[in-house]
This record gives sequence, C-alpha cells and structure tokens, in this order.
Amino acid sequence: MSSPLKSPEGVWWNWAVSRQERTWLGLALLWCVILFGWMIGWRQLGAQNPVGPTTRISPDRYRAEVEAYEKRARRTDQGLVPPGVDVYVGAQQWTWNGLPVVLQAGKRYRLHLSSYDVQHGFGLHRDARTIEQFNLQVLPGYEWVVPIDFKHPGVYDVQCNEFCGVGHRTMHGQIIVE
Amino acid sequence: MAIGLLDAPYGEDGFRTCEVTGLRIHRSAEVPVKMFGLTAVVALIVGGIAALLVALTRWEAVGILQPTAFYKYLSLHAWNLLIFWMVFMEVAILYVGGPMVLGRKLPAPRLAKVGWAVMVASALLIDYAIWTTTYPNQEPLLTSYAPLKSSALFYLGVDTFILGTVVAALPFFACIWQEKSEHPDRTLPLVTFGAFVTGIIAVEALLGGLITYVPTFLWRIGLVGHIDAAWYRQMYWIIGHGTQQINLAAMVTVWYFMTHLTAGAEVASEKVSRGAFILYLFFINMGAAHHLMADPGVSASWKMWNTSYAMYGAVLASLIHAFAIPAGLEAGRRKRGLGGDGWFGWLKTAPWHDPGFSATALSIVLFGFLGGITGVLMGQMQLNTMRHNTLAVPGHFHGTVAVGTTLAFMGLVYYVIRLIFRKEWVFDRLARLQPYLYGFAMSIAAMAMMEAGILYGVPRRDPITTSIPGTQFSFSAASPMLAVLGIAASVAVVAGAIFVLVAVGSLLFGKEARMRVPVPLALTGGDAPVHRFSMRGTLAMCLFFLVVFALFYGMDWMWLSRLWMFGG
Repeated sequence: MSSPLKSPEGVWWNWAVSRQERTWLGLALLWCVILFGWMIGWRQLGAQNPVGPTTRISPDRYRAEVEAYEKRARRTDQGLVPPGVDVYVGAQQWTWNGLPVVLQAGKRYRLHLSSYDVQHGFGLHRDARTIEQFNLQVLPGYEWVVPIDFKHPGVYDVQCNEFCGVGHRTMHGQIIVE
Repeated sequence: MAIGLLDAPYGEDGFRTCEVTGLRIHRSAEVPVKMFGLTAVVALIVGGIAALLVALTRWEAVGILQPTAFYKYLSLHAWNLLIFWMVFMEVAILYVGGPMVLGRKLPAPRLAKVGWAVMVASALLIDYAIWTTTYPNQEPLLTSYAPLKSSALFYLGVDTFILGTVVAALPFFACIWQEKSEHPDRTLPLVTFGAFVTGIIAVEALLGGLITYVPTFLWRIGLVGHIDAAWYRQMYWIIGHGTQQINLAAMVTVWYFMTHLTAGAEVASEKVSRGAFILYLFFINMGAAHHLMADPGVSASWKMWNTSYAMYGAVLASLIHAFAIPAGLEAGRRKRGLGGDGWFGWLKTAPWHDPGFSATALSIVLFGFLGGITGVLMGQMQLNTMRHNTLAVPGHFHGTVAVGTTLAFMGLVYYVIRLIFRKEWVFDRLARLQPYLYGFAMSIAAMAMMEAGILYGVPRRDPITTSIPGTQFSFSAASPMLAVLGIAASVAVVAGAIFVLVAVGSLLFGKEARMRVPVPLALTGGDAPVHRFSMRGTLAMCLFFLVVFALFYGMDWMWLSRLWMFGG
C-alpha cells in the first residue's frame, strides 16, 4: 500500500509512473510553456503592456513638474489641453491634479503618473462600457511614463482604486478624448 | 472542562495509538494541536462576523456600515481569517504532519506553548490596534501600504506575531531533525514531507515579514525618516503572498491526508508528488512578483522574468497535484474494489455524506476552477491590468483561501474533533450539509466579485461605488452583481456559523466518539502497485479543466486586445 502517512519502502524513485499521469505531466508542462511564451510574445507584438520608463523623483519635484505643465497647458471649459504629447497626472489625497484633460483620439501621448503623498490606484474606465477598463499603481517617489493612444473618442473616467485614506472614494477625474 | 478537553487515554510512556489511523500519538504533540486548533476557530468566529458586515456593506442597497467602520471591519476580516485562522491551523498541521505522523514526541513542547502565547497576545494587539484606529492613522487593511500610516501598535503586533509563529514552528523542525538523525535512510512520509516544505516556505515568508515590518515600525515611531513605497511593496509581498503559499502548501498536504483517511486514496507516484512539492519550494515565493505587475517601481523584464520562470514552476506544481490527488483516489479505490462501474464509479461511490470527504473534494475542485484559473490570468503581466485593484482580486482569493483552504481546513477540523478530541459530531445532519452550503454560497460570492471587477472595474476597498461625489460617473451598473455578492456571502457566513456550531457544540456536548475505521481505510486491496490501476476518470476530468482554463485564457486576451494602446 502506498500511504501518504507511511514511509515508502525501497527505492521509490524507480517506481513506474502511470501512463495517464505521464500524459498529464506532458500536457501540464506544455501549457505552462504556452503561458510563458504568450506573455513574452505579447510584450513584443501586442499593444497593451503596463510598461514604460520609470525615474525616481521626490514628490515635491514631481509636484513642481505638474504645476509647470499646468501653466503651459491651454485651459478650456472641458479641461486642460496639453501643449505637446506629454500629459501629467499628479495623484494626491483625494484629487487627480492635471485632470480633467482633453486629448485627441489616435494620437500617441506620454502619460506621466506619480503621487504627492501615498499610494493611489489609476483605474481608467471608458464611458459606462463593460470590460473596457484598466488599472495601474501610482507610487510616490516614482515617475512612470506610460505611452498611451486612445482609439475611440469618449469620456474616460479615472477612479482611485487603491485605499488612500478617508476621502478615497471621492477621488475621481476624467480624460476626454475627442 | 478545559482539562477534560486536553485529556486522552495515554499510556505510561505518554503515547496512545489512534484506533482509526493506527498512528502513535504523544501527549506533547496532541495538546498543542488542540490549543492551536481551538484558537483558530475563535479567529474564524471574529473574522466571520466581520465578513458579514463587510458583505452587507458592499451590497450597497443595504450599505450597513459607514466608510470608517467599513475599513475597521474589513481589516478585522482580513487579519482574523486570512492570517489568524489560517496560521493557527497551519501550526497545528505542522504538529500533525511531523510528530503525529512520525509517531514521535514533540521536542521542546514549551516552545510550542510560548509561541502560542506570543501569537495570541500579538493577535489581540493587532485586533486592538485596528479597533482603536483614529485619524491621522488609517486602518491597515491586509496590506498596510506605506507611506499611508497605521497605528504603531499594529506594526508592533505584526512583528511579534511573526516571531511567535517562528518560535512555534521550531519544535516541528527539531522533530524532523531528530527523525532524520535517527533514521537517515528512511524517507519521510508524503504528508510529513508536505508539512516540511510548508514549514520552509513559512520561514521564508516570515523572515520577509520581519524585513518589511521591523523597518516599517521604526519608521512609524519616527526612528527612520523615510520609507520607499516601491521597496515596501516588494518586501511586503514576500510575506503577503508568502503566507498564501503557506496556505496552498498546507492545503495540498491536507488534501493528500484527508482523501486517504476518508476515502482510501493512495499516492499515485511518490516521485511525482514529491517533485511537485520541490517545485513549490523553489518557485512559489518568487511568484509573489505577480503583485507588482501594474507597478512602476520594477522593470518589465523583472516582472516577466520573475513571474514567468518562477510562477509557471509553481503553476506546474499545482497542475501536477491537481492530477495526482484525484488519481490517487481513483486508483486507490479501484485497487480496493471500490471503483464502481465505468470511468467515474469510484467517484460516485465515494463517501459524499462524510463532511471530511465532501469538504476536501469540493475544496480541490473549487480551488482549481475558481482560484487556480483566475490566479494564472492575473499572473500574466498584461492581463493583470484588467483586474488589478478591482473586486476581481478579492474574487480570485476567495476562490483560493475561502473555497479552497478554509473548506479543506473545515474538513480537517471535523476529523480533529473525532480523532483528537474524541467527540462525536453533534447536529450530524447539519454537519453533512455544511460543506456543500459553504462551498456553493462562497463560490457564488467569489464569482460575483470576479464579474463586478472584470466587467465593470468596480474597485476593491471602497464601500460606496454606486454614487461618487462630484460626478455623474458611478459603478451603479454593477449593483445587481453586488446584490448577488451580499446575498451569497451572507449564506456563506451562515454556513460558517453552522460549522462553528457543530465544532464547538461537539466539543462541549458531543458524546465520546465510537472509533470506526472508515471502510476504505480498513481495506488494503493487496500489494499490487497503485500505478497499475486505471486513472482514466481523473485524466478525463483534468482534460476538461484544461479546456475550461484555455477558454478563459483566450477570452481574457481577446478582451485585452480590444483596449486602447498602452505601453506599446
């Protein structure tokens, strides 16, 4: 009897493995290789990757960068229009500095993300559509530049989704894509 | 009463022989198993009450708690269930898997008691710190992400809890050491081996916890000036995910143990199952990198390197166990003449009325389909962005630690009551129903969270999402899903209460257990090697699982590909 409560006797390493179990081992290994390969491949060929250059920056300096950007940007009723392809968002308890912002569909921007105080979550949702949403972590001390290109015009809502203190649930902003 | 509960018919040498398992059990091991087991059930009660209030808040039509109270109860829910209920159970599992299975005394039993006392005091301190949190401190939730500040007492309690757990684990390691010194050529039984691997993973995780929480405590009391958010996250997840890996390895060990005890499972292949545990040992902690998939602090290469080689090493191990355990059950039952007819007769004739078996079997299936598949999806760097920080994350881990680990541990506790406390179950019928009710209700709750998260992007850790001040935007489209969550979670809490009722009722009022050896365990089925018996039913079920897995995988990538471009 091969009990999990008893020491196996003899050279158990040489005991045969059932054909069905060997079949499963092969399939499981193959599946893991597919999972592995697909993720690496999408990084090279796919258009959705949570990557981009990151630099260390003090929260004060980042705040100064965002304020300088806000001065350069054009103010409209709908929100800021960035002067170039750089779009700055500064997370702060409990507001998104730099939002709302007006962007153009089909144009590739560089989205700068960082925080002035604690950790925040950048959750972006297209209109009220299902599925069309994504989420990035925002950390103080790190400026993350994520290339972004909206295919479709619409209102994209930003809701903080990392607990950041009592006013967390009020932390909302918008990106308007024209 | 307390003395009575800790007593059992020991011989003069302090040993007794279990009439059911045939294991030689020493008093020094049995007493701490009872202490840790009982404490775990107390934590389950506290965490379960908090769970009900959390669920009735996220069901926003009910909305029972205001935000500040919500975060207190959410923190209590997380720490009492995910940490205290699990870790106290796991120390008990180490003492079962080590000294009890090996038929040895527990070395240095005083350390076990000291560890227990430190853990209990620390757990009380943590609960007190959460309960008394006032501004400018914030409730820690599970993660206490710096630089958001929590009470200094909280960080202190975490540090001492970790130390207490390490102390409590020492007698287990000493026991393994003694066994290997005396019998260097004797292989550890599989359950002991699994417990040993669990213990090593636990120590790694706990050391990571000290690396995280000692500096964080010093920062909170002002001795360290600055704490880096990315550093905190990377260190935190050594213990944050590490403790979940302890839950996983302990649960898998319990699966091997309980399928054998209740239904006659054998080890389909010692080599393969042990190899899978070794894969856990090497890879599972590195897999914690998948918590940083949507983070700026680490590079894309770092993310993919750590979650690819490491995580798929661990995923492979889980896929192996997913086959090996039902296969051991199938072949073991066929060998004993309990295989019934056809492909699945061995399953049809299994003891589904025994809560020890049904809890284990449901735990295996539900963990795989709900927790396992979603865990791999979230572990892919790109797919992670659709789930990160949404309700889909709690959905995933209620698929692992609630319907998986908690259900498996409930099944184990039923048997601890019978075999170690030596009491019959009271409310026998309720006990038979309980694993089904809990498994079903918690599965629905977990799926509701997954749907609310992935379809609507409903944030986790947010009590009111259907109206957001200052904007028309809200997550009110997800209201029906949140209602399903609230109702299903409430039913699951009722099922948890039934479990507590049966467990505590049996200890207080249960008759002395009549020790009956379960039929499958009484049969041996002869000496034929187990690998000669058919495992075709298991292979068919595993292939079905793989097809479902692949479908969800494909669907998630299709959804992702429809999103706007980001990152390039």
